[in-house]
This record gives sequence, structure tokens and C-alpha cells, in this order.
Amino acid sequence: MPAAILRAKKALKDVAMGGTLEVLATDPGAVKDFEAFCRATGNELLASKADGKVFSFVIKRMS
Amino acid sequence: MASNPLYIMLCSGEHEKLQMAAMMASVGAVSERPVEVFISMNAILAFAKGAPADTRYQGGAFSKLLKENHAPDAMTLFRQGKELGDLKLWACSMALDVKGWELNALTDGLFDGAMGLTKFLSDAENGQFVTL
Repeated sequence: MPAAILRAKKALKDVAMGGTLEVLATDPGAVKDFEAFCRATGNELLASKADGKVFSFVIKRMS
Repeated sequence: MASNPLYIMLCSGEHEKLQMAAMMASVGAVSERPVEVFISMNAILAFAKGAPADTRYQGGAFSKLLKENHAPDAMTLFRQGKELGDLKLWACSMALDVKGWELNALTDGLFDGAMGLTKFLSDAENGQFVTL
């Protein structure tokens, strides 16, 4: 679902440069989506974890 | 980060294709990829101002699933793509002419203007071209 990516992009606008954002998603596809999103936008994916059906990501704003 | 612009030719009025176009456009835009969408043929009818969602979106089995699962509205996805990235929507000037519409007959806040096919095809030589 693109919803998680769109919401993360919107939330990142309010994160200071160098700051982090935690995202929770329930779509297993989100793992690769967030890797690609961070690569494309120049942000750093600090963490990517799966806990049952919940996938969590920590993104560091670099651009 | 260098990125290849995405040019989407949207002609189908099917809900599933409208939804996919909105998803591709918004995800591309938030991934810092410039996106332009050219809307023509049956697709332009789906952008009529004020159309209720159940008549705006007509499709097959997957359309039913999208509605049952409250999938994000395609118009909302396009709007978010414009808000969060470089996304432009162009109404086909031929389609507007044939339908007898001006731009103000279309959903507010989405369209950057009307454009001819020749111009869009020429611009699309700069990037990747997809048809829905």
C-alpha cells in the first residue's frame, strides 16, 4: 500500500535534518518499499524490524 | 539523486486503472521523481467536478474490493502527490474539446492545464513512458 510511504513523506517534512521518524506498517511489501524510498530520497533507513504482523522502520532525515 | 521522469498516459476510465495511475503518480512524486500525467479518452470523464465516488469509479471485480476495503480515493492520492512532490496533471485538449468542457468542468486543484498530445509526447522523450 502506498499509504505508508505517502504518510512517511509528509511526516518527514516536520523532522529536523538529522532527526528520525518511526513508521509502523502492516504490509509486508513495506520492507522493500521503504528501502527503495530511502534510496530514492537520500534518507537513511536506520532500522527495519518485523514483529508478527507489524513492520517498523526508523528513517533518518538526510535531505 | 538523479531520477528519470515518469510520463503516464491515462486513457482508461476503469476504476482499477485510475487507482493504479494515482498510486504510481503519488509514489513516484514522493520518491522525488518528476511525474506528469496526461488524461484523455474515458479517463477524463472520471475527473468530472462533483461526481459522487460510486459513479466516478466504475470497474470490475477489483474495483469492488477497493471500495469494500475503503482504499484511498484516487483523487486524494493525486492531490497528495502534488502536495508532496513534483506531479503535474494535464487534461487532453482534444478530449475537452470533444466533450465540450472547459478546465473548470474538472475536479478542482488537480490540473495544471490543458495540453496537446504532440507536446506531451515530445516532453516524454526525456523519461519513461507508461500507458494505462
